[in-house]
Amino acid sequence: MKEKIISFIDQKLQRFDPIWLAENGKGGQRTRYRDDGSGIARYREWRGVEDTFQDYTAWLKNLGYMGAMVARDPVKVLKGIWEYRWMGSFLASFAFVDRIYEGYRGRELDIANIHGNAIVRILTLRIGLILHNDARLGGGEMTDKMIGLDETIPPLFTAGFPTLNAEPMQTMPEFVVCDVDQHLDPYYIDVAESYGLAPDVCSRCSAETGVAIDDAFPVFGKLVLSTNQPCNASEATSMFQRRRFHQKGIEDYPFVFAMQHNTKNGNDYSKEELRQAIQKIEEVYDVKYDWNALFEKAKNMNHQNQIELEKWEIFATPFSPLSGINESLYKLVEWALVNGHDEYFNEIDDKVIGIMRQAVKDQYLPYKGKTRHRAFLWGPSAMYYTDFPTWAQNCWGIDIVLNMDSTMGHNMINTEDPEQALTDLAKFSEKGVMRHHAVGGWDNVNAVWEWANRLNCDMVICNDNVACKGMNGVHALLEEQAQQLGFKFVFLPHDLEDCRTIPRKEIRKAINDYMSIVLNEEPLDATLVDFDDAEAW
Amino acid sequence: MKKLISFVFRLVKRIIKIGVLLFVVTFGIYMSNAENKLIYDVVRPLLNKHYDNQARDRRI
Repeated sequence: MKEKIISFIDQKLQRFDPIWLAENGKGGQRTRYRDDGSGIARYREWRGVEDTFQDYTAWLKNLGYMGAMVARDPVKVLKGIWEYRWMGSFLASFAFVDRIYEGYRGRELDIANIHGNAIVRILTLRIGLILHNDARLGGGEMTDKMIGLDETIPPLFTAGFPTLNAEPMQTMPEFVVCDVDQHLDPYYIDVAESYGLAPDVCSRCSAETGVAIDDAFPVFGKLVLSTNQPCNASEATSMFQRRRFHQKGIEDYPFVFAMQHNTKNGNDYSKEELRQAIQKIEEVYDVKYDWNALFEKAKNMNHQNQIELEKWEIFATPFSPLSGINESLYKLVEWALVNGHDEYFNEIDDKVIGIMRQAVKDQYLPYKGKTRHRAFLWGPSAMYYTDFPTWAQNCWGIDIVLNMDSTMGHNMINTEDPEQALTDLAKFSEKGVMRHHAVGGWDNVNAVWEWANRLNCDMVICNDNVACKGMNGVHALLEEQAQQLGFKFVFLPHDLEDCRTIPRKEIRKAINDYMSIVLNEEPLDATLVDFDDAEAW
Repeated sequence: MKKLISFVFRLVKRIIKIGVLLFVVTFGIYMSNAENKLIYDVVRPLLNKHYDNQARDRRI
């Protein structure tokens, strides 16, 4: 009876379903959007009764997490929104979640909303904690017990300081918020450039520098660990940031990793650096490192990585309902921000791997079986176009099976012997965000073909950060290799965090041209081929 | 006893009414994308005006 009613309503309302509209030549995903380039939809996506209700409950849950963050300390949250431009950008979070999971149905949507809720939960918890303890806003009980970490330093090792709290400095003001609102970081980049900084540097580093110059970092802790991760451009921005931290009375300690991270010498060097960073924290905060506390959280991280390795096996099949931005954004947050510190994420992993195992058993074809190409997305992606993989699937049937950054440190950490744990942690930490395959020698970059073969991809999309001097040199080499190995290959130009240099529309054009001119294919949804979203968040 | 049953009955009825009302309101906001329209068209322009007028200490 229930199925009959649902099927009756679905049939009556199918003319509002963008996928049905595209299939029947009556419109598509962009039909419901305003025509002003704002990226604001006139109404939300109708996905059929069950999926719409599922998405609605996930939306309610996100609303609940945000409400809880405000309720815990309403004054500090309001002060934070008033003080920090980047806090205003987080208000775009609802539209962001809609954008990245557009067109998702069935098990893809199930996993997407499980992940989406987990991401909103952890971000609201961490933003709440930061604002509550921000000395600029009055401070809190943890203000002096917090350690600032450069966001590219994996925070797992800080689990050995259970009475302290390590927070990545740049994640909230500059990094993850660029996913949410493409127009934020250009402001900070302009601040840096108006100060005299060269405009052709990596826009991530430029934006971070802009945050420092604009005095927009939250103020907490006694020590900040700066770093050269992921590459040498970060050394310059760290030097600018330390000036601001010193003004706030916060000491700076450079935690430097080996650039050649595949060699034993490099690994030994990073291990010693890690040991010294731990000693420095012990000194500044007058605490002793607790190896047992580290081992507890390392077990969480190992559990996460064991599941990750199983996920990769499933990604190699055509039956994975987890792919695209749903996979990579969750992985980024779980790896770089949580990093074993929160058991809740292990529960999420267990739940998701269960859905994936069942999908393989049922030979479930995701995206209604419309995938035409399986692509590996190589190189660091445009932060201002997080929903690119969603667009690629909805428009052309290109399933981004895995993203380069999702291959980050997956070695297990010893949970009994401190010396071995330190060796494992150093190796794990060296292979961090935008680093594992982006720096450290040609073999790391060239591993793309191995990965693409392993995951049965027929296509490689290589992100081309136009301001990344390191990667500019490998263009022709990669193109030649793709031709020899028989991969469909596209360079995707972008400027990492500056949406003005190469707007989203231009990024889409690179794929549109390749798909229509080189492969002579027709889009799945014609409304998605060319549209204006310049003013969208 | 009768009074108690009638009280429980009224309470359940009220809870259902509030639940239905909450569902209608929140589902209405959800489907019409009302919160995003409000933030994009009203809240953010006001906040941006405030941010643009902030005097920030840029001496480092």
